[in-house]
Amino acid sequence: MPVTSQTSSSEAPKLFPHTRWTLVLAATRKDAPESAAALEAICHAYWYPLYAYVRRYGQSAHDAQDLTQEFFYRLLEKRWLEAADREKGKLRTFLIVALKNFMSKEWRRASAQRRGGGQPHARFDTEFAESRYAADSQTLAPDEIFDQQWAITLLELTVNRLRAEFTAAGKPRDFEVLKGCLMAERGAIDYAAVAKQLGVNEGAGRVSVHRLRKRFREIYREEISQTLADGAELDGELRHLAAALAGK
Amino acid sequence: MNTELLPKCPQCGTPLPANAPAGLCPRCLMALNLKTETVFTDDMPAAQPPLPPAQIAPHFPQLEILECLGRGGMGVVYKARQKSLNRLVALKLLAPERVQDAKFAERFTREAQALAALNHPNIVTIHDFGQAGGFYYLIMEFVDGMNLRQLLRARKFTPEEALAIVPPLCDALQFAHDRGIVHRDIKPENLLLDKAGRVKVADFGIAKMLGTVNGGGDPGRTATPENATQTALGTPGYSAPEQKTDPQRVDSRADIYSLGVVFYEMLTGELPGKQLQPPSKKVQIDVRLDEVVLRALEKKPELRYQQVSEVKTLVETIVATPPDNSRREEAQIEAKGRQSKLTSLPTYRLGRVVSAIWGLWIFVLVVLVIYQKEGSPAWNLAVS
Repeated sequence: MPVTSQTSSSEAPKLFPHTRWTLVLAATRKDAPESAAALEAICHAYWYPLYAYVRRYGQSAHDAQDLTQEFFYRLLEKRWLEAADREKGKLRTFLIVALKNFMSKEWRRASAQRRGGGQPHARFDTEFAESRYAADSQTLAPDEIFDQQWAITLLELTVNRLRAEFTAAGKPRDFEVLKGCLMAERGAIDYAAVAKQLGVNEGAGRVSVHRLRKRFREIYREEISQTLADGAELDGELRHLAAALAGK
Repeated sequence: MNTELLPKCPQCGTPLPANAPAGLCPRCLMALNLKTETVFTDDMPAAQPPLPPAQIAPHFPQLEILECLGRGGMGVVYKARQKSLNRLVALKLLAPERVQDAKFAERFTREAQALAALNHPNIVTIHDFGQAGGFYYLIMEFVDGMNLRQLLRARKFTPEEALAIVPPLCDALQFAHDRGIVHRDIKPENLLLDKAGRVKVADFGIAKMLGTVNGGGDPGRTATPENATQTALGTPGYSAPEQKTDPQRVDSRADIYSLGVVFYEMLTGELPGKQLQPPSKKVQIDVRLDEVVLRALEKKPELRYQQVSEVKTLVETIVATPPDNSRREEAQIEAKGRQSKLTSLPTYRLGRVVSAIWGLWIFVLVVLVIYQKEGSPAWNLAVS
């Protein structure tokens, strides 16, 4: 199973939502196009954890695809956003609760009169979904896999944004050289080797590494705060996601 | 999927999943996120990464720079060892992106002066201040522990611990207020707790010095728009309303508001929302605390406690005395009612009657007291 190569059919969505959960919440009563676009971008970015939940819950690949599609269709109609608790809104918990509700109440009825099913405009790449799901841990409970995949989705969004920043600065190769430093302990990084690959002196190499790591943290926190209505929750959410990821 | 066939992360050894972002191990990436406890307040411009210790060290030959502790207020803080005295200190540097800004240099200077004027066991001690190699720096006592934010997130807080922290915090604030210094940025990040459990107030970065050259006494200063700029507003959620609407008039009572927010957060785990709910409705605590917290959180400064020491006295009294029976009964009944729908009706009514009688007697006594001392501030208490 190739790890580092990503062919076009199995590529994760590169778009990241410049959206804010608060924007969506604020605009629920009006039919603002920004809000619709925000919601669309949310669906596009965060669908995989929901898909993983549905699959782990026991649905077949085909049913899971239908179900997730239909869920997003309904969500985009904003029928459930009015019920969202704006004071303490977390996109992650909102989505999973809405999904659970949908699965228990609406899905049976919806099977009879599917609105979005069978449409060519699939909201996500179903082939990619299943290949990714097959590679994931098989031992986690549905809620656990949802949180874990949510954490990973945010990591993906962060890494993609970082890579995009380097590309925009005209230095895509530098990202590939530096990215390994994101994982290492500070003391274990071979700055001399990194600097050599970058074509700079060691001091500059060191600075580049530190900048990358710091920028990674900043972006990740931004990605989390995109999913929160209240910025004060950020550290709590970060810890929750870290625990979810570690709980294999 | 047989995980043994998957390549393993060279760092932590866990099998790399197929959806590893850019081929990087998700666990290690996540670990990176937890390493630094930096917190962004809304008033920060795009931050540059803090310079690594190796780049700072040459400018401070008297120190051995150990590690970067993170950002706080307008500065970056490093842990260092003072070679001559062989003790740990905290080295705070004005954030690099702020150095060119005269306003911030001046504010950094003011922080140093504020700290120098405050010699108190619950306020971080300042050892030195100056400029070196283009950096404005502050050398302060190193507090070996965590800040309140870290503790709150680690969920290591009980109501008893919250109540233990408030009195020394009040001491520190009263001490500062008595010397005409208002902190203006009281929040969990600026409250340090060392391993011995001592509270230390830190980061007087936007402190206001009243009645001094830098404070309200100098008409030249008050004319500057400095006080009205965004960066002097404190931290959203913690700063008193007047810090935004009427910054010129901010005084020590703003700190009392912020103390109220911190108190509320320690007790309930949340910030006070728009519909202000008394803490006892959210967690199991002494209902007498509601009054203290809510009064500190009054929107109008004149309705709050006027002295931080009042808060301390009340909290210590509440802790030292058992709650009076009728209120405890009422609180217990309310708690039971919350837990199950089957409230025993006769007991509930009895509890209500008992507390109504008590309430009446107390009211009578208070009215008598007021009658004797006309116009005393105790009237405010009777009205509640």
